[in-house]
Amino acid sequence: MQPEKFYYDNKIVRNFGIATIIWGIVGMTVGLIIAIQLYHPAANMDTQYTTFGRLRPLHTNAVIFAFVGNCIFMGVYYSLQRLLKARMFSDTLSYIHFWGWQLIIVAAAITLPLGFTTSHEYAELEWPIDILITVVWVIFGINMFGTIIKRRERHLYVAIWFYIATFVTVAVLHIVNSIELPVSLTKSYMVYAGVQDALVQWWYGHNAVAFFLTTPYLGMMYYFLPKMANRPIYSYKLSILHFWALIFIYIWAGPHHLLYSTLPGWAQSLGVAFSIMLIAPSWGGMINGLLTLRGAWDKVRDDVILKFMVVGLTAYGMATFEGPMLSLKQVNGFAHFTDWIIAHVHVGAMGWNGFLTFAILYWIIPRIYKTELFSKKLASIHFWIGTLGILFYVIPIYWAGFTQSLMLKEFTPEGILKYPNFLETTLRILPMYVMRSIGGTLYLSGVILMAYNLFRTMAQGSLVANEAAQAMPLEPFIKPVNEHSWHRALERKPIKFMIIALLVILIGSFVELMPTLTIKSNIPTIASVKPYTPLELQGRDLYIREGCLACHSQTVRPFRSETERYGEYSKAGEFVYDHPFLWGSKRIGPDLAREGGKYPNAWHYNHMMDPRLMSPGSIMPNYDWFLTQTLDTSLTAKKINAMRTLGVPYPAGYEKIANRDLDKQAKGIADDLAKNHIKVTSDKEIIALIAYLQRLGMDIKANKSANNN
Amino acid sequence: MYSQFLDNLTGGQLYLICSLWIFLIFFIVVSIMLFRLKKPFVTYMSDLPLEDDDTSNTFKPLQS
Repeated sequence: MQPEKFYYDNKIVRNFGIATIIWGIVGMTVGLIIAIQLYHPAANMDTQYTTFGRLRPLHTNAVIFAFVGNCIFMGVYYSLQRLLKARMFSDTLSYIHFWGWQLIIVAAAITLPLGFTTSHEYAELEWPIDILITVVWVIFGINMFGTIIKRRERHLYVAIWFYIATFVTVAVLHIVNSIELPVSLTKSYMVYAGVQDALVQWWYGHNAVAFFLTTPYLGMMYYFLPKMANRPIYSYKLSILHFWALIFIYIWAGPHHLLYSTLPGWAQSLGVAFSIMLIAPSWGGMINGLLTLRGAWDKVRDDVILKFMVVGLTAYGMATFEGPMLSLKQVNGFAHFTDWIIAHVHVGAMGWNGFLTFAILYWIIPRIYKTELFSKKLASIHFWIGTLGILFYVIPIYWAGFTQSLMLKEFTPEGILKYPNFLETTLRILPMYVMRSIGGTLYLSGVILMAYNLFRTMAQGSLVANEAAQAMPLEPFIKPVNEHSWHRALERKPIKFMIIALLVILIGSFVELMPTLTIKSNIPTIASVKPYTPLELQGRDLYIREGCLACHSQTVRPFRSETERYGEYSKAGEFVYDHPFLWGSKRIGPDLAREGGKYPNAWHYNHMMDPRLMSPGSIMPNYDWFLTQTLDTSLTAKKINAMRTLGVPYPAGYEKIANRDLDKQAKGIADDLAKNHIKVTSDKEIIALIAYLQRLGMDIKANKSANNN
Repeated sequence: MYSQFLDNLTGGQLYLICSLWIFLIFFIVVSIMLFRLKKPFVTYMSDLPLEDDDTSNTFKPLQS
């Protein structure tokens, strides 16, 4: 049999590489802008399109799906072809995949600042873009499996298993978390409400970390690290064990994002148990990576690419140890909603994803351009300012998290809160926020330096768009008579492999999600909880549009420090009409679950015009456009209909008179404001927002007063 | 204040125990698979990324 000649497609690898660099700079710049806004609110230039609430999802989406996403595709398209000794299945599909993905990113960059958002974290994009993501992801899958089917290497290396698990799990996560009912082209409501929606969102959110930021990067580590160090992986058996254990365990751990919330206790305990177990497979991967370098540590001293890999793997080890620790209820009670979590996430994102991305870029670009890296010295400078950038970013923000949490939980000897004003704790940590933005600037400078270095490298070489290779075609397979290994057989059968991986992730998902989604008694109802009025519903949509949940939570945990500060702790039954839930995950400002009735309408009006009028020193931006923009009531009927379809008990035909009720309630608020010498017509957005804010927590308060009577 | 969690936990013990059992059994099955892998195959697999330009993709130690 003669070897077959074929060509690897390097052009698609190059394209994804360039996209990685460009979107990396964009995503990190947006991150830096919002970091500055936290101590200098005017950095939003006083436009509604650049406030923290709208840019924060843009930052997370750009970094996760544009920077990391493009890097995943670059790494997969490079390594898959070589591990399978075959060109990608279809150049056309590769082309559609590339441009389709960039289209999604551009659509996100336009719609998120415009305020079109579902409010599900890391899944904020509205339904038409969700459909586009599904189509492009399926195209990627067809291209990958097509390549696997026409391969010239019978056995699938461990890196490819990680790619398959990534493909199949991200597909499941994206579809389940995006089940929403469209109201218009740019607006939809999540099908699940309250605690159910929260569980689905954090099952998704946690596993987006697992299967978008972790498994594809582990796959790339298993291919690129042996190439970089020129030695095989430390233990292939360990890679198999930690692969199966990782994908099995990760899927169960989502509820650790909802500890002390109204999620059923057993689901919280399940999340904690599996989170602790997660240390083992995560560290299996880190140890396997670091020990691959055994006997090659002298290379690490000279080779900047290996330096990036070592720091990246160490960051992975730190983040995956810290994650399980943070899921312990006592630690979580202290750390959740604070900057500690932001620090934890950035150790992973900047250290693990960022540094592995840089290492792979520095390794691939010179190779496909058949040249040397333009400047090793610049790469070395990048490594050092990148590392310093991470330290300057995370250390102040850890400090900020500890400080704020301690202050918020401190009581005087008399038993009252020592810092009853939330703002007092915020002002104390502003210097840390300044230092964090210096760390971010350093890190971003390193990336810009890398971009210059790599573009000069491309300029001095020339792209080998089609790289010649040859390999023997696969002979028809005859099963050896004495083959006993199931796993060896499995590695020859990619479709069976995918189905088993799918089953593995479905077991955990099913046990975790199904009881809460289907058993009614898991969510005790509260008789006094009523659907939102049309005006409140519109106000809630404004709250979602502005991304208020980026800074304000809506769930009070059962701690004395929280019930004293905010009011009665939250109950599952309070959220049954909340499509979507708006619990948030970070308190840059105070919780708003019990905001209703705390302040008069006039206070909210003035506070939205300029928060510093009511709270001197506040870092909240002005929302003065609420005062001048007219509320769009053209969709009220459709919104009421959609909510009714989702199970909210609005009476039949109510949509026809909803706007009449809306006007009546709005007029009441406008009249009240007029009594306080505030002249505003009742059709302005501020009226709807005030109506919503004044409703928050009122059902429970009504329940209490009814019980007392 | 914490009674709602404790109450829920009692009802959910079945889920916890079942989940841990499912994982344990799964883990043991994977370990048995690993135990049965032959050394030449493991070496072949772990050398795969290093053999880009190699045309020898015909690993059949069991048939020799």
